[in-house]
Amino acid sequence: MMSLIKIWKILRHNTLTLLGAGLVILIVLMGLLSPLISPYDPNLMNIPARLQAPGWSHPFGTDEMGRDILTRVMYGARISITVGVSIVVIAAAVGCFFGSLSGYAGGKVDRGIMAVTDMVLSFPSMVLALALTAALGPGLFNTMLAVCIVRIPLYVRLMRGQVLALKEMQYVKASRTFGAGPVWVVARHIVPNCLTPLLVQMTLGVGDAILIASSMSFIGLGAQPPMPEWGAMISTARTYAIDQWWYAAFPGLFILMTVMGFNLLGDGIRDILDPRSVKN
Amino acid sequence: MTAFLEIKDLTKTFTLKGFFGKKTDVHALNGISLSVEKGESLGIVGESGCGKSTLANLMVRLEEPTSGDILLDGISIAHKKEKELRKLRSRIQIVFQDPYSSLSPRMTVEQILTEPMQVMGQYTSRERTERASELLELVGMRSSSLRKYPHEFSGGQRQRISIARALTTEPDILILDEPTSALDVSVQAQVLNLLTDIREKMKLTYLFISHNLAVVKYISDRTAVMYKGRIVEIGPSLSILTSPMHPYTKELLAAVPIVGKPFCPPRETAHETGGTDAERGCIYYDRCPIKDEKCRRERPVLEERQEDHEVSCWKL
Repeated sequence: MMSLIKIWKILRHNTLTLLGAGLVILIVLMGLLSPLISPYDPNLMNIPARLQAPGWSHPFGTDEMGRDILTRVMYGARISITVGVSIVVIAAAVGCFFGSLSGYAGGKVDRGIMAVTDMVLSFPSMVLALALTAALGPGLFNTMLAVCIVRIPLYVRLMRGQVLALKEMQYVKASRTFGAGPVWVVARHIVPNCLTPLLVQMTLGVGDAILIASSMSFIGLGAQPPMPEWGAMISTARTYAIDQWWYAAFPGLFILMTVMGFNLLGDGIRDILDPRSVKN
Repeated sequence: MTAFLEIKDLTKTFTLKGFFGKKTDVHALNGISLSVEKGESLGIVGESGCGKSTLANLMVRLEEPTSGDILLDGISIAHKKEKELRKLRSRIQIVFQDPYSSLSPRMTVEQILTEPMQVMGQYTSRERTERASELLELVGMRSSSLRKYPHEFSGGQRQRISIARALTTEPDILILDEPTSALDVSVQAQVLNLLTDIREKMKLTYLFISHNLAVVKYISDRTAVMYKGRIVEIGPSLSILTSPMHPYTKELLAAVPIVGKPFCPPRETAHETGGTDAERGCIYYDRCPIKDEKCRRERPVLEERQEDHEVSCWKL
């Protein structure tokens, strides 16, 4: 296993990746620790203190119900990270399964799976996610499901390509000559050897998924208003955008930081995972 | 008496699909028959595309033959289902040509060497590791290499690891599919010496596939020359190299440069005549310098011309 020291050695000279990792760690910690470190209750209304500008008692200001925006942004990190990560993990797992099946089995199975994949990919992902959520009914869970379905084909494509390429490698053939079955070959050879592109795609995908999910909430199909979700917060903040800039700006800033963090990390993760990048 | 390894009329046809579903058959192997004694080393030579590697792939059942059979100790392995094949697979192992793609870059040498035994369910985990380190020493490497990754080794060392992996299941037959052609000449010699030593030590039978006649002479007792999916000449290596009979073998030998002699590559003689009867005529007709009318109409078969030395040619 790769030790933390080795990871640090690789990352030390890669400022952007470090920045990305820093942002991601910051947001994750913020989400995890929000009940402990947030100054208020996210749903505590305080009408007299509504729409206050950022100041000592409310660093990010307050919203139209007098709720502390900093607190709500912290709790929002929980929701966004959970949404982003679970969408990606489920989409990747399902996608990898069908992708490997498609690449390994070939023939009719391959053609069938690829036809569905191409069909889903031919829609702009936002439009399809919108349509699916509208059909399933608004709500955070349905939004996650819809975004997940829209993201699956990316992983099917990726995995199929990897399987097709790796299947011809001589170590895979060698493995078959001593009797390894398809499950062994995929689990022991193909998955470990395409972990790098997969993890890069997944890390970048978390950012994308968070962005789509927030957009859906912004439109009103995703998380519903009392929930401190960033997209939903910006949505209610629209009315106050001109006079109370802080209301929309802080949740927006955090969406930006999270997505950027995951994107920068995704770019750097290839270097961390390549066994050749560690020279003694 | 049944031979140790017998290949009977083995044929492999690939069907290529062109535009509009037009199908073309490519005969990679066309009725190959061979028998190999236990402990023997048989060399198989021929130019690229003659079907040598297809033969190797069929031997380890990476591909299914179209027809024909492979018998090991009289047991057919060519058409067995994967489940029944399990035990037989350990007896025939293969070493591939490319030492760079034959080892998984994500596995340590230990994982690479223990994998075959793990798949076959042989030994306990500790015994597997012990065996891996013994085999590593057998192929001339330090057992401290177990914890390293393939990218830390040179081409020759990687090929040694590949050989060790092929030996883990205690095979009787080792298929060597051009194991040295990707290596430097000096390293080639070391690997060939290693293969010769191992064969003696472990009483192995070799099927050594190569396009390099010098290498084949060094390692094999008998040599088969293949052309377009068929064997055109087979016999003791020495006899084939010193007194080749088939015009194709002569052409192959003429293409090997010899130190001290000026090298004149063989002339391109091919493609001058039309009218080959591809269905019936001699397969070497197009390129043959000594062909005549009979070669066009009738296909020669392998016939014994000297002791143990068979050739398929009308013009001898």
